[in-house]
Amino acid sequence: MSELPPTTSVRRWLVTTNHKDIGILYLITALFFLLFGGVLALLIRVQLWDPSNQVLSGLAYNEAVTAHGMIMVFWFLSPFAFAFANYVVPLQIGADDLAFPRLNALSYWLYLFSGVLLAISFFQGGTLTAGWTMYAPLNVPMYTPSIGSTGAILALTMFIVGVTASTVNFLTSIHHSRAEGMGIMDMPLFTWSILATVWMMLFAFAALLGALLILGSDRVLGSVYFSATEGGSLLWGHLWWFFGHPEVYIVFFPALGVMLELFQTFSGRRLVGRKWVIIAICLIAVQSFLVWMHHMFLTTINLEIKTLMMATTIGISLPFDLIVFSLIYTLMKGRIQFTTPFLFAFGALLLFILGGITGVFLGAIILDYEFRGTYWVVAHFHYVMFGGATALVGAIYYWFPKMTGKMYDEFLGKLHFAAFFIGFNAVYFSMFLAWETPRRVFEYDPALQIFHQAGTIGAFILGFSFLIMFYNLGKSYVSGPVVGENPWDYSRTAEWAVPSPPPLENWPNRPSYASGKLEFVKDYVPDGGPAVKADENGNAVTDGGDSHADHIREYAHWDKHPSHASIWPFTLSLMLGVMLLGLSGFNDSISIGVADSLATTPVTISNPVYPALTVLGLLGLVYSGVMWGFEDFYAPPTEFAERWPFNGVEKVKLGMWFFLASDVLVFGAFISAAVFIRYNAGWQEWSPLTESLPGLINTFVLLTSSFTVILALVAAHRNSRKGLLASLGATIALGLTFLAIKMWEWHHEIYDVGVTIAENSHGDPIQASIYYVTTGLHGVHVVGGLLIAGFLFYRAYHGAYLEDERPVEYFGLYWHFVDIVWVFLFPLFYLF
Amino acid sequence: MIDPITLQQGTDWRAQAEVFDEIFFVFLTLGTVVGIIVVSYTLWNVYKYRDDGGEPDKDFDAPVVGELPTGQGGPKAKKLFLSFGLSAIVVISLVVYSYGLLLYVEDGPDTDEEGDIEITVEGYQFGWEYMYPNGHSETNELVVPADQRIDLKVTSTDVWHNFGSSELRIKTDAIPGETSETWFSVSSEEVEEQGGEATYRVECFELCGSGHSAMKGQITVLPEDEWEEWYADTEGSEDENSSNVEGDLATPSVTGSAVGGVSA
Repeated sequence: MSELPPTTSVRRWLVTTNHKDIGILYLITALFFLLFGGVLALLIRVQLWDPSNQVLSGLAYNEAVTAHGMIMVFWFLSPFAFAFANYVVPLQIGADDLAFPRLNALSYWLYLFSGVLLAISFFQGGTLTAGWTMYAPLNVPMYTPSIGSTGAILALTMFIVGVTASTVNFLTSIHHSRAEGMGIMDMPLFTWSILATVWMMLFAFAALLGALLILGSDRVLGSVYFSATEGGSLLWGHLWWFFGHPEVYIVFFPALGVMLELFQTFSGRRLVGRKWVIIAICLIAVQSFLVWMHHMFLTTINLEIKTLMMATTIGISLPFDLIVFSLIYTLMKGRIQFTTPFLFAFGALLLFILGGITGVFLGAIILDYEFRGTYWVVAHFHYVMFGGATALVGAIYYWFPKMTGKMYDEFLGKLHFAAFFIGFNAVYFSMFLAWETPRRVFEYDPALQIFHQAGTIGAFILGFSFLIMFYNLGKSYVSGPVVGENPWDYSRTAEWAVPSPPPLENWPNRPSYASGKLEFVKDYVPDGGPAVKADENGNAVTDGGDSHADHIREYAHWDKHPSHASIWPFTLSLMLGVMLLGLSGFNDSISIGVADSLATTPVTISNPVYPALTVLGLLGLVYSGVMWGFEDFYAPPTEFAERWPFNGVEKVKLGMWFFLASDVLVFGAFISAAVFIRYNAGWQEWSPLTESLPGLINTFVLLTSSFTVILALVAAHRNSRKGLLASLGATIALGLTFLAIKMWEWHHEIYDVGVTIAENSHGDPIQASIYYVTTGLHGVHVVGGLLIAGFLFYRAYHGAYLEDERPVEYFGLYWHFVDIVWVFLFPLFYLF
Repeated sequence: MIDPITLQQGTDWRAQAEVFDEIFFVFLTLGTVVGIIVVSYTLWNVYKYRDDGGEPDKDFDAPVVGELPTGQGGPKAKKLFLSFGLSAIVVISLVVYSYGLLLYVEDGPDTDEEGDIEITVEGYQFGWEYMYPNGHSETNELVVPADQRIDLKVTSTDVWHNFGSSELRIKTDAIPGETSETWFSVSSEEVEEQGGEATYRVECFELCGSGHSAMKGQITVLPEDEWEEWYADTEGSEDENSSNVEGDLATPSVTGSAVGGVSA
């Protein structure tokens, strides 16, 4: 671990793991992508000025439309919200930092470098042109052959890996680090909205990750999932929208949280029906996973399912009704202050009301039949998603004084709002008027030209309004008036109880709400032990079973200072980026010939750059990962905290649980894909491609290895180094046996039977793809597990884990999971 | 000339466009009214309760930093549930109302089976291929008779398209490996109004590649007798097209024999 350099040093921003620094990095990066996506939007609007205009070619227009959608939804909206979540949530819950600071830095760098990959994809023969929804089979190389298309898809995959890390981090932090006395119902509404958001992200983004890994395999390895006529297109539709609908709320909820906070702060009134608003938020989060097929009303799904989806869709609009009315009634009898942040939050509510009403239109199947694929949809989701983001723009102004210690210029802020609001409605309301225009089309009915021209003018006003904001923020940062802890009259949350900007570790003493309001308590620190609670006289008190000895055992490094700097998140992300850049052109650079064994297979490399980048990135990735593992980095767990409903679960274990839950969904996507395609192909038509004996042997091998992992944990617990090494060694040996059998099986299939990833000598090619890709994903998990096991073995050899066996336990959780997955795969591919 | 089949159909024929226009009108009216009421009520209150710098009311209980969040109950909470209940009733009744009409649109009007014409539509990059029951096929222009129910079976030979005509208010996905359905019918009065030949624009509503913007076609509706003449002329070309049809079709059932009666 290195010390954290000052904020004036560039190095600081590369190594920082502090949640406030990372929040600011997110904010600046997200605003950059707003400009990037915004310029693409202006290009689209220029093309639409005239119904026969051809500023861009058809393909270039599709690139602009696709990249605009992807950038705004993925690289702008969510990271923009998580800039504030990073900065504010730990402060609102009374934590020193997020649960896993290095993981948080990793999420950020994965985000940044994935964006760089996306930008590079424009120069790899053009980026993806399949729309941000990437409908199949337009998303496979046959129809979008450019290397940049693969690049964009891999960039999104990388982005989602970062999102998953961030999700695990926020879930663990909010469930594990709330200050004493802050029960889950006592959390501020912004934190609540983030909690609901990350719960949805955990499952929704995992499904998307599954879909994108399959798509990546189609593009890089040559499998044939999404070009299969056995339901390939519909499979993409289901996977995409299973993610895609929750995604709408994922981008909207943080904005809703900002509205809920700001309406209270700038009216001086508390939220009406607070408990019911929280219940509504939770209901929406659950229901969001039950409405996805309303995006597919015009496909071949049957009327019964459509009716069900219509009912759930209408059902999900009702909790929103309640929230909207709660927001309106909260303001009444208040003392409403029309500051810039309030104007944006209030404007967001008005825009959302319009977005909501037009959404009810779409919920009625019969209207959706006509609106599908038109500008009605485009207008509606801009009112909802960008309308929501309007509140996030207010959040910049709201928290700007906290982040910088300076006040923004109120006049320029209001000017920004006026231009923004006028421009917004000009560009998106005109879309309702021109709703008969098909989406992503630039040769439209000339009768609608007047509306499209109004929209183009509005778009430029909207874009210009952000220049006012950048000027305002820049000027105020340099020479704005200095503010104290709390510039607002009626703020309540804890971030306003510390200096602006807050110190590195946030609090003067331990924050506690035990008395019903925020207090900073000084804990009793005995000589030779961690802090314990103190009474008024400074003497130690026990709090029921949490005894001193337990603390020492649990927190072996109690006397160390928390770490705030690590370079490995940066290098790891960079190296993953390099590897994915290499993979994007891998398929085009290498051709593999036909032979009768692996050893004699000719490989021709036409362009060495991409394969070299792949290898370089992979090596760098493994190196960074190992260095990360060896780094002495200490993130102290919050000692006295509210943890409902995970009382008594240790921090890293909780994080592991969350990670495995998301991994269940990734495998769930793969297994659902296998079942869906097979169902469409005719279930009985297929019989297992391979003999069942190797699979059966492998099942026993893996189950035995689960047993040896338990032995390792027992040995570590008993302080037996030899026992630990022997059991870990046995686990590794069994894992390698599994892989060896797998390799033999694949080799046999490929070279003796003639079943490859895209060809099947005795049946549908898609069956071969499913077999290789699904068991391949499992194999990658086994390889990853073996790398970790090797790392543990090395450290155990040097005497680690005897004092603190928890890393062995967490590895065991992962390993058991990998084994359980195999138990599902075995019957699917070897028996039936 | 009025065909006997048309008479049998009675007066309960409603085109999808008519159904859509009715529902759209109802939703638009209610949506506008509700929107105006809610927004003006909100704006009025925000104006009324602005902070004018005066003394706060006696019951104004300003929040302080560091308090544990609490809500507000009392009369406002009652109002909240009342408004929620009202909006729920509006939304649910709207959807129930539209659902009844959906069932009609899904099945289409009851007609004499003999009169229905089933046409297979294949989307491709970048155009539409229409295949008639007699094996004839047309590119981009669909020619059909007035006063008949036209059933479309829509699929795609390459990527995901969406077949739609805004003027007729019909639309359905064209997905490779799948066949989706929609139907329409145009009355002879309508054809008359458009000068003896009604034309409707067909567009692709799902991004399908570089030519998506230009992927346009046309539906031409002729008076029934004219159409039958035209259709009879296509018989001669059956031989050269039939092999093409069989080669492309995923489902052979589309060349329904029941429809043969029309051309006879």
